[in-house]
Amino acid sequence: MAHINIRKGHNIRISGSPENEYFSRPKSKTVSIQPNNFRYVKPKLLVKVGDKVDIGSPIFFDKVQPDIKWASPGSGEIKEIILGDRRSVENIIIELHEEEKSVLHTPVKYQEISSLGKAKVTDQIMEANLWPMIRQRPFNKIADPNDTPMAIFVSGFNSAPLTVNLDFALRYKQSVFQAGLNVLNQLSNGNVHLTFEVDTNCETLTAARNVNLHTVNGPHPSGNVGIQIHHINPWKPNEVIWVINAQHVLTIGDLFLKGIYDPSIVATVAGPGVKNPAHIQTRTGASIETFLLDNLNSDDNRIISGDVLTGQETNLNGFLGYYDTTISVVPNSNEREFLGLLKPGNEQSRYSVTNAFISQNKSNFNFTTQQSGSLRPMVPINAWENMLPMDIYPNALYRSILAEDFEEMEGLGLLECDEEDFALCSFVCPSKIDVGSVIRHGLNLMKDDG
Amino acid sequence: MVNHLRKLIQNIEPKFTNDGPLKRFFPLFEATESFLFSTAEKTNSGPHIRDSVDIKRVMILVVLALVPCYIFGAINIGVQAGIATGKVRSLFDNFMFGMEYIIPIILVTFIAGGFWEVLFAVIRKHDIYEGFLVTCALIPLLMPPNIPLWQVFVATSFGIVIGKEIFGGVGYNIFNPALVTRAFIYFAYPTEIAGDKVWLVGPDGYSGATALAIPAATENNNALDLLHNVTQFDFSWINMLMGYIPGSIGETNKIIILLGALFLIYVKIASWRIMISAVFGLFFTAILTNILAPFSSNTMLSIPPHYHLVMGSFMFGVVFMATEPVTSAHTNRGKWIYGFFIGSLTVIIRSINPAYPEGIMLAILLMNAFAPLIDYFVVQKNINQRKLRYAK
Repeated sequence: MAHINIRKGHNIRISGSPENEYFSRPKSKTVSIQPNNFRYVKPKLLVKVGDKVDIGSPIFFDKVQPDIKWASPGSGEIKEIILGDRRSVENIIIELHEEEKSVLHTPVKYQEISSLGKAKVTDQIMEANLWPMIRQRPFNKIADPNDTPMAIFVSGFNSAPLTVNLDFALRYKQSVFQAGLNVLNQLSNGNVHLTFEVDTNCETLTAARNVNLHTVNGPHPSGNVGIQIHHINPWKPNEVIWVINAQHVLTIGDLFLKGIYDPSIVATVAGPGVKNPAHIQTRTGASIETFLLDNLNSDDNRIISGDVLTGQETNLNGFLGYYDTTISVVPNSNEREFLGLLKPGNEQSRYSVTNAFISQNKSNFNFTTQQSGSLRPMVPINAWENMLPMDIYPNALYRSILAEDFEEMEGLGLLECDEEDFALCSFVCPSKIDVGSVIRHGLNLMKDDG
Repeated sequence: MVNHLRKLIQNIEPKFTNDGPLKRFFPLFEATESFLFSTAEKTNSGPHIRDSVDIKRVMILVVLALVPCYIFGAINIGVQAGIATGKVRSLFDNFMFGMEYIIPIILVTFIAGGFWEVLFAVIRKHDIYEGFLVTCALIPLLMPPNIPLWQVFVATSFGIVIGKEIFGGVGYNIFNPALVTRAFIYFAYPTEIAGDKVWLVGPDGYSGATALAIPAATENNNALDLLHNVTQFDFSWINMLMGYIPGSIGETNKIIILLGALFLIYVKIASWRIMISAVFGLFFTAILTNILAPFSSNTMLSIPPHYHLVMGSFMFGVVFMATEPVTSAHTNRGKWIYGFFIGSLTVIIRSINPAYPEGIMLAILLMNAFAPLIDYFVVQKNINQRKLRYAK
C-alpha cells in the first residue's frame, strides 16, 4: 500500500455541504439519457417516441464504434426525444412505469468471477449496454473494448466541493463492490488501483482485496483520478489507462451477481441555494425537479448537474448527467457593490485563496455565480501553479495550446491531463481565464491530429 | 446618493453601447462603471463559482503598498531641502513641502499614462486594463523630485507606448514599462539623471555626489572610509536604511520598502522567490568582489554586501519592479535564477562599470529580456524528462 501526499490545491469552503444522511423524496417520474454527456460519440437512435423500454434495453449506439450501446436507466415509455443543432440527439426522456422491468442476464457466482477471463467479462458488460461506464485516459472518452489497459483506476473518494461522501455511500456494500473489483481485475490482468482517503473507516474500501490499494491525503483535486494516475502509475505513449467511478463498480458488481442493471446511485443535492443539503438515493439520469421542489432558498438560481467546478448548467426540468452524482445549486446575484474594489472585504462578502481581503475564510461562504471580475490577459502571479499537484507547467502548456504547437503540447504532458484537473486553476485565476476549456481544446486538437 | 449615481450611469449607458453616438468610447464608460460598481458579469464557462480576486484588486493592492513610499518620499524631500538651506521644519511641514513637488509629477504621469491607455483601448476595442495604474503609480517614485515635468510626460509616454502598448498591452509586454520610462530618462537626459549627482530640492547649484558615486570616483581606496568621511550627507549604513538621504522620491527608506514587500508576499501577489534570490545574488556577488578588492584599484569592489543592500534603489527595484509578474520569469525554478541574476548583475554593473553607478535598473531590464530564455530552459528540462520517462 502506497501513500500519496498532495500539497497543492484547495478545498473550497462553500456553504450548503451535504449532511451524511439520506433526504427522501418521491421517486422521479421521468429519467433521461443525454448523448452529449459522452465525448466524441455520434449517437444513432434505436428507439422512437412511444416505444416501450425496460431497464437495460439499448437506447442508442455510437456510429463510430457500433458495438457500444447505451442502456436505458428506466423501464417505461419513450416520452420525448429532444434534438439540437443539425438534428443531433440531445436528450431522450423516458416516462417511468409504476412497475419496472429489467432485461435479464445470466448471473455469475461470486467465486466464478475471478476465472471468467477478459473476453467473457467484456461480453457481459457490452451485452448489458453498460460499457460507457468505463472511460479511458488520455482524452477521458469511452474506452475501446478491444484495448488492454495498462491499469484501471478507481478513486474511492471525491474531493470536489459538495460531492458524494463515498465512505457513506459505499458503506455495507462490500461484497458487491468486491465483485465489481474482481470483474475489473479480469479486464486489466490484475492491475487495478483503488485509492481512498487516508483517514477513511469505510471497510468497503479499506478491506478491498485483489487490487493495489493507495491512501491519499490533501486538498482537492487529490480525489481526481487524473491526479492519482499521475502520482501512482503515470501514463505512457501507446498505452491507455481506464477509469471508472466507484459507484459504477457497484453497478458492474450487481450486473454479474444478480444479472440485472441496477441504475440506482447515491447523489447529493447541495450548494448555497439549497435548504436541506443532503445525500439522496436516486438513479442515473434522474429528473432533478423532485429534489428541488420546496428545497430552494430563492427563485433565481443556477442548477448544475455535477459539481460547481466542472458540472453542466441545467434547469429545474433537467436531469442528472450519466457520470454525475451531484446536483449543485448556486444562487444568481445581480448585486453591484459601490466602490467594491477599494473595500477591504469581509468574511461574508469575499472569498479568496489569496489574502487580498480581510477575511480568514474560516466559515463556509455563500458563493453566487458572479465572476467577480472581467476577463483580462494573463498576469501570472503563480495562482495556477499552486492549484495543480502535477509535474506540469500549466502556464507553458496553456500557451502551447493557444499556439497550437503539437510537439510542445505533447512534451508538456497534455495527454496526461484532463480539463477537470485544471478547474481549480480557473477558479483562482485573477484574469478569469477558463483554463480547463483550453485544455479540452488542446486535447481535441491532439485527437483530431491522431 | 449611490442609487442616484447608479441611475445616472444606467441612463447614459445607451449612448456608449450598440449604435450610441459615443460607442467608440465604450472602454472609457466600462472602466468608469466597473470602477464605481463591481462588475455584474456571471460565469458562463468553466467553474460556476470563482475566487473574489481579480486583476483590479491585484493592481489596487500593489498601489496600496506604494502609498507609504509616497508619504516618506514627501517628508524626505522636505528634510533634504532643509539640510540644503539650513531651515528646520516640522514633520508635517516637510510632508507638505514635499507634496508640492510630488503631486505635479503624479498628475503629469497619470495624464500621460491614462491618455495612451485609453487611446489604445479605444482603438483596439478592449477594456481599459488596470495595469497602467501600477505603472503610473511607480513612475513618480522613480523620479528625482526636481525633474522637469515635460521630461516626465515624454518619458511616461515612451514607457507606456514602447514599453507596453506596442507589444499588445498588459500581459504581453517584455519589459517593465515603469523601468522603460526610467531608462528613457536615464539615457535621454544623462547629464541630469545619470545617478552620480544627488537629486534634491535645494538652492541653485547646490549638489553633491551620491553614495554610489563617491567610491566610484576614487581609485585605490576603501569604500567605507570614503563614505564615512562625507560631511555633506550622512551615508552611514543605518541612515541609508532609514532613508534620510537624497535620492529618487520613493526608493530611499528601506524599512518602508521592506514592509511593502512583506505586505505583497502576505497577500500572495509578489513572488518571495524573486526577492530572496535577488538578495542572495547580491550578497554572493558582493562577497566575491570583496575578495577581489585587494587585487584591484577599483574602490567599488570593496563595498560590503550589506551596504550594497541599502545603497541606491536595489531594494525598491527588487520588491516592486523585479517581481512584476508579466515580465519576470514565470516558472518557480526560473524565478530563482531570474532573481539571483538581478542581484548579481546589480553588483557587477555597480562595480565593474562605475560610469553607471546605479545597476539595478539595467539589471532588471536585462533580466526582463532573458526571462523568456530562462523559462525556455526550465520548460525544456521538463519536456526532456518526460521524453525520457515516455521512452522507458
